[in-house]
Amino acid sequence: MTEYFIRRIIQSIVVLFLVTVVTFAIIHLAPGGPTEVLVAPGLSPEAFEVQKRNLGLDQPAHIQYVRWIGKLLQGDLGKTFKNSVPVGELLWPTIGNTFVLMGAAWLVAMVIAIPWGIYNSTREYGLSDQTASFISYLGFAMPTFWFGIILQQYFSLKLNWFPLSDMWTMGKKGDIGDLLMHLVLPVCVLSLAFLAYYVKYSRSSMLEVLQQDYIRTARAKGVRENRVIFRHALRNALIPIITIIGLDLPMLVSGAALTENVFNWPGMGRLFVDMAIAREYNVLMAIVMVTSVMVVIGNLLADILYAVADPRVKLGRKGGDTA
Amino acid sequence: MVSIRKWLSLVLYVMLVGALLAACSSDKGGSTTTENPPPSNEQTDTNTPDDSKETDNPPAAEDGPVDGGTLTFSSFTDIVTINPIFINDTASSDAAHFLLAKVYDLAPDGQIVVEPWSLAAELPEISEDSKTYTVKLKPEAKWTDGTPVTADDLIYTIETIKNEDTGSPARSTMEKVAKTEKVDDHTVKITLSEVFAPFQYSLVIELAPAHILKDVPVKKLLDHEYGKDPAKTVTNGPWKWTEWQKTQHLTFEKDPNYWGATKPHIDKIVYKIYADQNTEVQALLKGDTDHTSAIPVVQVEAVKKNSSITLIQEPGPSYEFIGFNFKEDNFPDKFVPFATQKTRQAIAYALNRQGMVDNVLKGTGVLMNSPFLPGSWADPGDNAVNYEYNPEKAKQLLAEDGWVLNEKTGILEKDGKKFSFELEYNAGNSRREAIAQVIQSNLKEVGIEVIPKAIDFSIWVPQHLNVGKYQTILLGWSLEDPDPNADSIFSSKFFPPAGQNMGWYKNEKLDQLWVDGYSTIDQEERKKVYAEIGKEISTDLPYIFLYRYGNATGIGPRVAYAEEDAPVPTLPKGYFYHVINGGSSRNVRLLNR
Repeated sequence: MTEYFIRRIIQSIVVLFLVTVVTFAIIHLAPGGPTEVLVAPGLSPEAFEVQKRNLGLDQPAHIQYVRWIGKLLQGDLGKTFKNSVPVGELLWPTIGNTFVLMGAAWLVAMVIAIPWGIYNSTREYGLSDQTASFISYLGFAMPTFWFGIILQQYFSLKLNWFPLSDMWTMGKKGDIGDLLMHLVLPVCVLSLAFLAYYVKYSRSSMLEVLQQDYIRTARAKGVRENRVIFRHALRNALIPIITIIGLDLPMLVSGAALTENVFNWPGMGRLFVDMAIAREYNVLMAIVMVTSVMVVIGNLLADILYAVADPRVKLGRKGGDTA
Repeated sequence: MVSIRKWLSLVLYVMLVGALLAACSSDKGGSTTTENPPPSNEQTDTNTPDDSKETDNPPAAEDGPVDGGTLTFSSFTDIVTINPIFINDTASSDAAHFLLAKVYDLAPDGQIVVEPWSLAAELPEISEDSKTYTVKLKPEAKWTDGTPVTADDLIYTIETIKNEDTGSPARSTMEKVAKTEKVDDHTVKITLSEVFAPFQYSLVIELAPAHILKDVPVKKLLDHEYGKDPAKTVTNGPWKWTEWQKTQHLTFEKDPNYWGATKPHIDKIVYKIYADQNTEVQALLKGDTDHTSAIPVVQVEAVKKNSSITLIQEPGPSYEFIGFNFKEDNFPDKFVPFATQKTRQAIAYALNRQGMVDNVLKGTGVLMNSPFLPGSWADPGDNAVNYEYNPEKAKQLLAEDGWVLNEKTGILEKDGKKFSFELEYNAGNSRREAIAQVIQSNLKEVGIEVIPKAIDFSIWVPQHLNVGKYQTILLGWSLEDPDPNADSIFSSKFFPPAGQNMGWYKNEKLDQLWVDGYSTIDQEERKKVYAEIGKEISTDLPYIFLYRYGNATGIGPRVAYAEEDAPVPTLPKGYFYHVINGGSSRNVRLLNR
C-alpha cells in the first residue's frame, strides 16, 4: 500500500507538471495578451511597451514559464498583471464559496438520487421509475442558466420567497440562515443536473447487481427481500457509485461558471471566466493547478475507497498483500 | 477486513443520514430568515414627511434631502485600482468619482467648472501666449489623514503620469507639458511646449497623494498598496473607502471630516459587482441595487415594464461608425471602390440609420453626423450634413459616379470591377452583428455587396486596427474627453503606428483645420473651426457616422434628485453628475417607499 501511494504520488507530480506545461502553452498561444486587453484601441504604443516590459511579458514564453514555475515551487502563485494583486487573495475565497455551493448541491442530489435510484431498480418501469426518467431527461436537456433564470423570475422577483442572487445579504456575512436562503435557488438548479446523473447511475448499477448469481442464491435460500437489497445488493452496487463520486470531486471546486454567473455567486467558475477574458495568465494557471490537484486527489481517493469497499480490488504492483 | 467493510458501510450510512439532517435543518434555517423583509431595512431612519413618488420635482427646502442611509450602485466589472495615475477602466473611475475630488469638474455643456467639491479654487489663469496655466487649489482641501492637498500633489501627479517609465494610460494627456513649477503651497504654474487648447481637460483629474507616494520608484508604483488597500489609501473626496471585497463589492462611507463646504447626504455607498449586465439588471428589478449604468439594449423593454424604475435612455458619449480604409494594398487589384466622395455619400444615403436606432438599438441611440459630443459647446449642429435614408438618391449618385449595374449578379461594376467590400467587426458583439446585417441588406438594395466579417477582438485590435489592415470596419469611439480635438484619428499626421488614423485618410483641408482648432484657446474662435470641420468631415465622409449609442441607465425608486442635479448622459461619468452635490447630494435622496 505504501509503495502504491509513493508510486501514485510520483505519477501525480509528473501529470501535474505536464498539465502546467500544456496549459501554459495553450494560454500563451491564444491570441491577444494581458496588455492588449488592458489597452483600448487608442493608447500610445510606447505605453504598451512600457507595460509589457514592467510585467515581464516581453520575454519569450519558455522564459516566462521557467520564471512562473520557479515561483510556484516557492509557493508563490504570482500577481495579477493589471493591478498586481496576489493571486491567492482572489483565488482562495472563491474556492471556499464554490465549495459551499457545489457541496450543497451535490449533497442534496445524492441524498435524493441514490435512495431513489435504488428504489426504482426494484420496481423497474413503475411510476416512480418513469418519473425519475422524465426528470433525468429534463435535467440533462435543460440549460442550467436558463432554468436558473426561470426560478429567479418566479420565486424571487414574483413571489419574493428567496433572494435573487449573491451569497450573503450586504452586512449579513456569516449569518448561516441568510446563506441557506441564498443557497436554495442555485442548489435547485445544480442539484437537478447532478440528480439526473446519479439517479440513472445508481439505478443501473443496482439493476446489474440484482441480476447476479449471488442475489439469486440469496433469494433462493429464503433471505428476506429487504435484506437482499440492502445487505447483498446495495453494498456491491455502491462500488461503481463511489468511483463516480471520486471523479466528481474536482467539480466541487471548479464550479459551474454559468450558474455562478446567473446567481452572482462569488465562486471560482465565475472568476475563471472573468480572468480568461482579462488574460490574467497567473490566475488562470492557479485555477488550472487547483483543479488538477483535485482531479488527482479525487482519482486517488476513488481508488482507495474502491479497494476498501471491494476486497477483490488489490492496490499495488503485485496485487498488494496489504489490502 | 470485514471490520473495514462494516466501517465503510457505517460511514456511508452516517453520511447519508447526516446529509438528510443537514437538508432538514436548512429548511428550518431558511424559514426564519424569510421573516425579514427583503432588502435594506437600514433606511428606516429616513422618516421623511413626504413619501410621495414625485421624484421628478426638485424638492423644496423643507422636504429636501435626508441625511443617512445606504445606497447601492452597481457595476459588472471589479475595479483595478483607484490610484488616479493608473485608472483606465469604468469601474475604477466610478469608484474614484466617490472617493477622490477632481481639480476641475465638468458642466453639462462640457465646459470646465469649479464646483464646491472641486479641488481648484478658481478656473485656471492662462498666460498671454496661451502656454502657461496657473492653477490655484483650495487651501482647505485635505486628505483623509489630515494632510492638506497641496501644489506638490498636483505636480507629483502630472510629472508621474508624464514619466514614460510609469506606464500610465493617461500619458498622452500630459505630453504637451514642458514644465511644472510650484508658486506657493497651493499654486502651480504649468507651461506647455506649444499652444494646445484641449489641455484644459487634462486638468479634469484626480490627484495622487505626493506625501505617500513620492519616494516610491515609478516602476514599482503599480505594486504599491495605494489605490488597492482601503486602509492604506488616503482620499480627498466626500466619501472614504472602507472596504474592498474583491469581485464582490466596495463600500464608501461619508467622511465626517470632509473639507468641502457642501456635505454629502448618503452615509454609506455600496458599489456592488455583478457577474454580468443581465444579472445586474435583474438586481435592479429586484431592488438589490439602486443604480445601474449598464442596461443592455435587449433588457430595456423588461426594465420599462417596471414603473418604479427611472430609465434614462439617452446614450452616453460613445458613437459608432463605418470606417473606410483608403489604402490600396488592402484591396484586390488595388482597387478602392469607395475612393470617391460621391460614392461615399451614396453609401450614406443608402443606409437607414434611423431604422437601426429604432429596431436594433430599441431607441437607445441618437443619430450622429460628426465626431463631436452632442450638446457640448463644440457641437457643430446643423453645420454637419445629415444624410436622410434615400436609396433612390443613392442609386442616382452611384450612376453619376460611373457605377453600372450588372443585371446578372445584381452588383454594381466600374471598369469591370465589382462593388464589393468586407465589413469587419468584433465577434460576439451582438449589436454590431445586427447592425452589420442591416448595412449588408441596405447596401444590397443599391447594388453594393458587403461581406460582414466577425473577428475576435484580441486579434482584431493588434493585427487589423492598429496596423490599418482592413477594408471597412464597424467600430465605436468613446468621447471620454469632452474636447472636440480628434486629430489623432482623422489627421494624416497620425497614420499607424503614430496614431489612430487607421483608415489612412488624408484631407489637407482638415489636417490644417485640426491644427487651427487646438492652436487657440479662444473658445469662440474654436467653435467656428469645429463648425467648419463638422461640415467638411460630413461632406467628405472618412467615416459614415451612424449614431451615439450606449447602455441605458436605470435608477431605482429609492433615489430621487432635483432637476438641476439630474444625470447628464452625454458627459463622461454623467450618470453620476452632481452625485456629490452637497446641498442635495445629487440629490440622491432616500424616500420612504
